[in-house]
Amino acid sequence: MQTNSSEAAGMTPLNVLIVDDSATMRALLYRVVGLADLPIGAIYQAPNGAEALKLLEKHDIQAVFTDVNMPVMNGMELLREMAARDKWKDILRIIISTDGSRLRREEARDLKVSLYVEKPFRPEVVRDVLCQIASADVV
Amino acid sequence: MSSVKSPALTSSDQEALQSAVIEVCEHAYFVFVEPCDAPQFAALVEQVRAERGRGPSGRWLNASVAFNGASAGQVDVVLPERLGTWLVVSLLGLPADATLKDNQLLDGVGEFANMVCGAWLSKANETASFTLDVPKVTRMPAGWAPDPAPPVDEQAYRTVVVNDLPLEVRAR
Repeated sequence: MQTNSSEAAGMTPLNVLIVDDSATMRALLYRVVGLADLPIGAIYQAPNGAEALKLLEKHDIQAVFTDVNMPVMNGMELLREMAARDKWKDILRIIISTDGSRLRREEARDLKVSLYVEKPFRPEVVRDVLCQIASADVV
Repeated sequence: MSSVKSPALTSSDQEALQSAVIEVCEHAYFVFVEPCDAPQFAALVEQVRAERGRGPSGRWLNASVAFNGASAGQVDVVLPERLGTWLVVSLLGLPADATLKDNQLLDGVGEFANMVCGAWLSKANETASFTLDVPKVTRMPAGWAPDPAPPVDEQAYRTVVVNDLPLEVRAR
C-alpha cells in the first residue's frame, strides 16, 4: 500500500481498494487511480475477495474496484459479503471485468454496484469514473 | 475446465475472435493490429526464428485461458516473447527499454489472453455470463515455433501482426 499525497481543497482523500488476481492489472489500476485529479489517500491492493475482506475490516475504504473472475473468492462473492454488512453500505463498488454479459451486469446491479467497466478499457474510462464520483459528491 | 462440450465454432465466432484481438490491442495496449494471411505469418515466424541466438527474443510464449459458461473451451494466444514484453511495457506505461521481471512478463501476457478470451466470449454471446480460469502461460522450448499452416479442425483461428511481430490466437 502506498499513499498519494495529492489533496484537493475541501475534499477528504479517497481510500481505494483494488482487487484483481493479476498483478499487472493491479499495477495498471494503481497508476490510473493515481493519475486522477482527485485527492487519493491510500491505495490498497488484494489478489482475491478473501484478502480484500481482510483489508476492508482493517481500513477505512471508500471505493472498491474489483475484478469478477478470481481464485479463492471471486468478485461477486466479495460483493455479496459486502452487501451483507451494514457498515460497508456506503462504499462505492466498481466492477472491472472481462465479463460484460447482461446477466452479470444485472447481478452486479442487485449487489449495489455503481459502475461496471468492461475490460479492455481505456485508462481514461477509470479516470472518468473517479471524476464522476467526485462530481456526485459521494465521498 | 468443465466437461460441457464447446459447440462447433461458426464463421461469426471466427470474426469475433479477430475483433476481440483488435479491441484488446487497440483499447488497452494502444497498438494497431493488422490481419495477416498464412504466407505473411510464415514469413514473420521465420523472422522470429532468425532472431534466435541473439537472446531470449526468439522464444515463444503460449498463454491459455480455459472458460466455462454456456459452453466450455479454451483460448490460446501464441506470441514471441519480445512481443509479450512490448505489450506489457505498453500496458503499464513503462519506458520502452524497461526490463520486466519474469513474473511480470508472464502475468501480463496472461492478462492479455484473459482479455482476449473475455472480449471474444462477450462478442460471441452477449447475454451469457462465463467464468475464466487463471491464465496459464508457458515459455515454449528453444527452437519451437508455431505451425504457420491454419488448423484443419473446427478451431477458430486467426493470425495477426502486432508491431511487426506475429501473433496467433485459437479458440476451441
